[in-house]
Amino acid sequence: MLIENMKMAINSLRANKLRSILTMLGIIIGIGSVISIVSLGDTMRKVFSDIYKNVGETQAFIMLSYTVDEVRSSDSFSLDDIDKLKQIFGDRLAYIDAGSQSRVDVKIGRKKQKADFSGVDYNYETVQPVNMLSGRYLNKKDVQETRNVAMLKDSTARLFFGTENAVGKTFRAEVGGENRTFQVIGVYHKDESAIQKVLTQTNDSIGEVIIPWTILAHEGDELPSLRYFGRLGMNKSEMDQLNTEIKGYFSRTKNRNPEDWQIVSLKTQMGQVDSVMGGISAAVGGIAAISLLVGGIGIMNIMLVSVTERTREIGIRKALGASTRDILIQFLTESALLSALGGLIGVLLAVGLVSLGGAIFNLQVVIKPIIIVIAVAFSAVVGVFFGLYPANRAANEDPIVALRYE
Amino acid sequence: MKDVLIELKDLVKIYDTGLIKVLGLYKINLKIFRGEFVAIMGQSGSGKSTLMNILGCLDRPTLGNYYLDGVDVASMPSDELNKVRNQKIGFVFQSFNLISRMSALKNVEIPMIYAHKNSPKERAERAEMLLEKVGLGGRIHHQPNEMSGGQRQRVAIARALTNEPPLILADEPTGNLDTASSVEIMEMFSALHKAGATVVVVTHEENIAAYTDRMLRFSDGRLISDRDNPNPTPVRDLSIFEGMYHQKGVDRC
Repeated sequence: MLIENMKMAINSLRANKLRSILTMLGIIIGIGSVISIVSLGDTMRKVFSDIYKNVGETQAFIMLSYTVDEVRSSDSFSLDDIDKLKQIFGDRLAYIDAGSQSRVDVKIGRKKQKADFSGVDYNYETVQPVNMLSGRYLNKKDVQETRNVAMLKDSTARLFFGTENAVGKTFRAEVGGENRTFQVIGVYHKDESAIQKVLTQTNDSIGEVIIPWTILAHEGDELPSLRYFGRLGMNKSEMDQLNTEIKGYFSRTKNRNPEDWQIVSLKTQMGQVDSVMGGISAAVGGIAAISLLVGGIGIMNIMLVSVTERTREIGIRKALGASTRDILIQFLTESALLSALGGLIGVLLAVGLVSLGGAIFNLQVVIKPIIIVIAVAFSAVVGVFFGLYPANRAANEDPIVALRYE
Repeated sequence: MKDVLIELKDLVKIYDTGLIKVLGLYKINLKIFRGEFVAIMGQSGSGKSTLMNILGCLDRPTLGNYYLDGVDVASMPSDELNKVRNQKIGFVFQSFNLISRMSALKNVEIPMIYAHKNSPKERAERAEMLLEKVGLGGRIHHQPNEMSGGQRQRVAIARALTNEPPLILADEPTGNLDTASSVEIMEMFSALHKAGATVVVVTHEENIAAYTDRMLRFSDGRLISDRDNPNPTPVRDLSIFEGMYHQKGVDRC
C-alpha cells in the first residue's frame, strides 16, 4: 500500500511538473540555505581548529589584565620567572618562552625588506612542527650562545634571495637593540589555505624569520607576557586547571589577585569564534525557518488546488472502497514527497554551492551527512504538517457530491 | 429456494436543505433476490438516483432498513460502509468514472488495492484476466482518453467485477453511448446475469430495461409498479463470464 501510494504520488507530481517545481521552491531555498550555512559554520570551525593545530592547541599567553589601572614594575615577567615555572610546572609544560616578536627592517645586500622576527627556544619544534625544506632547525647551542642564526619561511627565502638556495646566506637587521648579521641555517614550509592566510594576517610581502629567543629577551628585561604550551594532548579542563594554577602562582609571587591576570589561550579564542558562528547560524536559521514556513504554506495552497481538481477522482476512489484513511494517506504522501523532494534538491544545491566555494578558496569543506538526513526528514515533516489540512479535506469529501463534480 | 440479496423495509429518504425538506423516497418495501436482473425505471426526479445511491451504500436512508447480503447497512458507520462498497458492490456509472492518467489495467486494480489483500502480481494478473473477458486484452495499457466510450464502459465493467461482488449496480450505463455500444454493454450485463451475478440497472429507456427480467417503476419517490419481464431481449453470446460466479452456487429461477 505504501509503495502504491508512492507510485500514485510520483505520477501526480509528474503530471504537473512545472507546478511541482515551483511549489518546491520555498522548501528548496529554506533547506538549501540551512545546509549552506551549517556547512559554512562547520568549515570555518575546521579552519580555525586547523590554525590552532598549527600554532598549538595548548598555547597560552599570560599577561597583566588591561582592567588593572595601577601597573607596578613587579608586574612584568623576567627570565627568572620562566625558570621558576619550568621547575614548578615542568611536568605539565611542554614549552615556555617570552613569546617575543618584533617587526624590523632587513637589509639583504642592498635590498630592503620588512620581516617579523619570532624568538623561540630550540625545542619549539616539538609544540609547533614545521616542514624543513633545507638546512636545519635551531639547536640548543644556538639558543644558549645567542648565535645570530635564522630560519626563513620558504616564501621569505624567495623574498630575500630569489630562487637561490638561502641556506648559508646572510642578511642584516637591527634586532634586540643591536645591528646583527644573521646567517640562514634553514628554510621551512607551513601549509596554509587562502582563508587561513587571511585570518592569521599572513602577508607574503613581509618576511617571517625565526631566531633564538635569547636574542630578543635578555637577563633583566621586563617581559610584558609569557608564552607557554601545556603538555601535548591536554584536554580543555586540564588546560584550564594549569592556567588557574599559573595565575595563582603569579598572584602569590607578585602580590596580585588572581583575576588581575589575563590568560589568552587559543581555546578561549576558539570559544569566541564559536559564539560568532553560532550567532550567524541562528540568524540564518531564522530566515530559513521563515522560508520553510512560506514553502509549507505554498505546499498547502497547491495541495488544496490539487484536491479540488481531483474531487471526482476522490469520489471514484471512495465509491470503489477507499476509506477516509486511504484518501488521507494518499494526499499526505503526495505533500510529504513534494516537500521532501524539495528538501533533497535544496541539499544538492547547497552541497554543490559549498563545494564550489571550497574549491575556489582552496578549503576542505565539512558537510556532515547527519545534517542532510535531518534536513530531508524535516522537510518531509513540513510537507506532512501543511498537507494535513488539504488531505483531511479530501478524505472527508462526500462521495455522491464528489462523483457528480465536473 | 430463493436467496434474498437486497431487502428494503419502509425505506424513507428526506433531504434537508435547511430551508425546506424534500422527500426523496417514501416507504419503499422491496426484495431483490440473488441472481436477479432488475431494471429500476423512472423519469428524472422520480427517486431512482436516490435509491441507486442508497443501494450503493453511498448514502444512507433517513428511516427504515436496508439489508444487503443479510447485513443492515443503514445503521453502519460510514468508515465501515467503504468496506461494503469494496466487497459487495460493483459500480458502473453513466460517465464511466475511470481515473484519467491511469491505464485500463491500473483502473481495474483499484478495488483490489483498497481491499488490501492481494499482492501487486496477483492484482495485475486478475485485472488482465478481467480485461480479456470484456474483450480488451489488447488494450490493457491504454489510458481512458485513448479509448472509445464503449471500450471505457467495458473497462468500468471489468473494474466492477474485480472483487467479485454479489451486486452489480449500473447507473444509466448506456446514457453516454451510441446504439451499437449500448447493445454491446447490455449484452455484457445479460451474460453477467447468466453467470450468476445480481445486476441492477437504473435507466429511463424502455429498450434498455427490456434486457432485464424484472422492471421496477418509480414516480415521485414511490415504487409504483413491479412486474416481471417474461421475454427479455435475446442476446447473442451469454457465455463470456461463464464460471465466474459458479462457486456461489446460484440457481437461476
